[in-house]
Amino acid sequence: MSSRRSTPVPAKKAPKPKRLSTTSFLLEIGSEELPWQVIQPAMMQLAVLMKGFLANHRLSHDRIQTFGTPRRLAVLVEGLAAMQPSTLRETLGPSKAVAFDAQGHPTKAAEGFAKSQGMDVRELETRDTPKGVYLCAVKHENGLPAAQVLTDHLPHLLPQLTFPKTMRWNASGVRYPRPIRWVVALVGAKALSFDFAGVRSGARSWGHRFIVDEKSGEASKGIRIPRPEEYEMTLADYGVVADPVWRRDTLAGQLARLARSVKGRVYQANHEELLEQAVFSLECPNVVCGTFDQAYLAVPHEVLIASMEEHQGFFSVVNRKGELLPRFFAPTNMDMINMELIRVGNERVLAARLADARYFFDEDRKVKLADRVQELRGVVFHKKLGSLYDKTQRIMNLVSDLAEAGGVPEMVASCQRAAFLSKADLVTGMVGEFPTLQGVMGEKYAAHDGESVEVSQAIGEYYRPRTPDDAIPETTVGRFLSLADRLDTLAAFFHAGIVPSGSEDPFGLRRSAFGVIRIVVEAGLNLNVTDVLRRAEGLVVEQGVKAGGHPFAPLRAGSGPPLQQFLEDRLRYYGRIVAGYREDVMDSVLARADDATCNLRDLFLRMDALQAITSRRAFDSLIVGFKRAHRIVEKEAWTDRTVDAKLLTHPTERTLRESVETAGRAVGQALDARDYHGALKQLIGLKSPIDQFFDGVLVNAPELDVRANRLSLLRQVDDLFSAFGDLSQIEVQGQ
Amino acid sequence: MTVQHLILSLHQFWSQHDCIICQPYDLEKGAGTFNPATFLRALGPEPWRAAYVEPCRRPTDGRYGENPNRLQHYYQYQVVIKPCMDTIQSLYLESLSALGIDPRKHDIQFRQDDWESPTLGAWGLGWEVRLDGMEITQFTYFQEAGGHTLDPVTVELTYGTERIAMYLQEVDNVYDLRWSKDVSYGDVFHDSEVQFSRYHFEVADIVMIRTMFDSCEAECRTLLEKGLVLPAYDYCMKTSHLFNVLDARGALSVAERTGYIGRVRGLARGCADAYVERRKSLGFPLLAGSGARPVASFQGTPNRPPA
Repeated sequence: MSSRRSTPVPAKKAPKPKRLSTTSFLLEIGSEELPWQVIQPAMMQLAVLMKGFLANHRLSHDRIQTFGTPRRLAVLVEGLAAMQPSTLRETLGPSKAVAFDAQGHPTKAAEGFAKSQGMDVRELETRDTPKGVYLCAVKHENGLPAAQVLTDHLPHLLPQLTFPKTMRWNASGVRYPRPIRWVVALVGAKALSFDFAGVRSGARSWGHRFIVDEKSGEASKGIRIPRPEEYEMTLADYGVVADPVWRRDTLAGQLARLARSVKGRVYQANHEELLEQAVFSLECPNVVCGTFDQAYLAVPHEVLIASMEEHQGFFSVVNRKGELLPRFFAPTNMDMINMELIRVGNERVLAARLADARYFFDEDRKVKLADRVQELRGVVFHKKLGSLYDKTQRIMNLVSDLAEAGGVPEMVASCQRAAFLSKADLVTGMVGEFPTLQGVMGEKYAAHDGESVEVSQAIGEYYRPRTPDDAIPETTVGRFLSLADRLDTLAAFFHAGIVPSGSEDPFGLRRSAFGVIRIVVEAGLNLNVTDVLRRAEGLVVEQGVKAGGHPFAPLRAGSGPPLQQFLEDRLRYYGRIVAGYREDVMDSVLARADDATCNLRDLFLRMDALQAITSRRAFDSLIVGFKRAHRIVEKEAWTDRTVDAKLLTHPTERTLRESVETAGRAVGQALDARDYHGALKQLIGLKSPIDQFFDGVLVNAPELDVRANRLSLLRQVDDLFSAFGDLSQIEVQGQ
Repeated sequence: MTVQHLILSLHQFWSQHDCIICQPYDLEKGAGTFNPATFLRALGPEPWRAAYVEPCRRPTDGRYGENPNRLQHYYQYQVVIKPCMDTIQSLYLESLSALGIDPRKHDIQFRQDDWESPTLGAWGLGWEVRLDGMEITQFTYFQEAGGHTLDPVTVELTYGTERIAMYLQEVDNVYDLRWSKDVSYGDVFHDSEVQFSRYHFEVADIVMIRTMFDSCEAECRTLLEKGLVLPAYDYCMKTSHLFNVLDARGALSVAERTGYIGRVRGLARGCADAYVERRKSLGFPLLAGSGARPVASFQGTPNRPPA
């Protein structure tokens, strides 16, 4: 009986299923100018919060759209249910056994529960649960109007928006990135009224600060948003483009048009970030095209571009040959017929900036880079790791070792010289003003000082790869210098026990390690990285840096000390993302990586060969056979490898023996030659002998000497496979 | 508009908006924020509204009078209002109109620029205000000063008077500014830039200045112990300037630099604590309703177009 009661309530008790009427909802938080970076993330949060909120409150809806400008964050909900649906709320009470005594009378527990629910015991129902039959209070709740739900709960929803940096400004104590000045909340044509952050919500918004509707002059009193659907259009009438996508299109279109008009194109390098900044800094984007004095083109173009981009947020322009033009595109927030005043103003500001940049360029060149190296004594690299001068000394030593180890002793002198000068541009006026020009200015100044092309070019490119997409340095000296700098950074920080954790990596050690791996692998350098790291740590120790970390140990899979593990993680990341290796392929190779073979290039050659052969049809069954041999040897902990030919009675035993011997020699030669594809091909050839062996004989022969002999033979098989890597890690993919 | 006319216009504007017009504080300082009328008055619950011109000294920015845009001594126009009011942005824009800058004809943008002063143990959020791409004002809602969380919040407007004047007078060299109808900025200040650049970069007696720093620091601490916070704060300001001179002279290693900043910050904190105590012991007199109140007398709406 109780099971029937727990079925859905009969239709006549349920609310009439009628067509719900829908409405729409708008919320706009008006504020003083938000930092441009926070707007997009806040829009996304707002959409998620709104969606969750409406779901929690049983308010169905169609599309949710968000808007964002420096002065407003808004969300528009279409097809919103005007009313919450009525609902039956079920609350479980005590179990039936507890609720009624032997005579079937309700106990105190039953009466107490009924009272707490405002019901009579006789009105309670029962529900079957896995734990038994329980009393249940079923209550019919009428839905509330959406407007009321929103009015009641929005003030609690809004503080859930999070931002990296917030402030207080009035007694409300609300925190937000900048002061909130108005809130619009509309359900259909009805304005919702609630208090938040010291303002009362309503239908009144504000248009562009300075573009005023001349006819009505309404902006001075604010503007009334008639209905949520009319939000975007109403704002547009008052000079505000609420949708960032629209602003982006506008900007991109204007930039392209202006570029065409000067027979050029927008300089691309940081284009996307500049565009993003403009989109979220402006309510009414409008680009003006200005010019600067040709004479400034004598200053390195990187400097001019940095002046325009970093200081002013201007786009720079190149001609079809990629040469910088004496022009700029300035995104402004004003749309007027006459933009002359604004253009001239921006030109004057840029001229002052460029004059400053030229001043630095001229002043910097008065002192040779070499004469600045001593100044690095006064610049801290890290408080536990000495000055940049100390680091320079370490890199000089390390880069010589790298050049020697890398087989180019003739480059030692250039490597050392480049290392000596590598940090000197950090104390120039220009890099002080434009930190992003580190390296770039070093190269220019080194060339100016008469340093060799090899040296100056290395200084110019050793910060590469700056990003995962950036190319590695082109020259050998640049590559070694980049490696030395990164390996020193890694060794020093790990030695001092300053290790990245979780998402925290303030010194960019992951990026450094990734750069090391990319350079070694992509440049095909034969280097034992562990050796170099040991040497690097030795240099750190020589300078008296206190140890706070772990000493070095071989790079090995599994539980290594942090730096090894750290490098291995980056290695795997590279293998996974760039090379597309299987995890078990990497496991197999890394498990065998020890001091002798810890050569990143070598590890990648092995992974490459193994990854290639995994696609061969015979591979999986080879691994099945090998693993069988491996398990037996492992289980017996069999270490003896001596096989007595006389005890090999079965032909499959003899075949296997011969195959192992032949393959053994060939694999050895191939491994020596680093022909890993060849070595693996030899192993594939063992597939049938192994399979036939297991088909033909029983390893656990009754005669102990025969058994031992077979185990030794399998031990030889195991050794042969293990010479390449720990192939027992390979997971058989087939059926 | 001459430089002095510009200053007079701002005085006129802000005095009409209930600010007291203070005169510059008679000690060297790196920014108007150091003036007790900002740093100390921002502390505690008492309301405060003031506007003043502040001569600022930034020894490292000296260029021997050769750079058209950089000076080691220049003037900030400083407005501080506590509690900050809802209409401060539009009021600020009105003040630009009073200078003859019609925001409807220019491109004025509020670009994020958060402010922090390690020596004052202070920070705030705000913007640099850009007029056609040029930074003309620093606009900051103070959140903390001298290690104290500020409640109510003070808003600080710092106008770059020379920048604005250069814009208005359409000159590209600060020394060409007309200070008055007949006298240029260069006439008044050029030699001072030359001499002080030389002094700060080449001549300043490092040993003497270090000694002075130590003496001022000691005096500040002594005065704090004696409960004389205002004289103590004078000595705190002096240490800050002496540090700036040492810095410009290239006398400080990085580690030392950090050490000196920490010492000035320590004094600033001590002064902040003592100032709040002192005002409390006086019963926070400005809370009584005189001076810079009430908020309701301010006009304007969030984006009211300037008159």
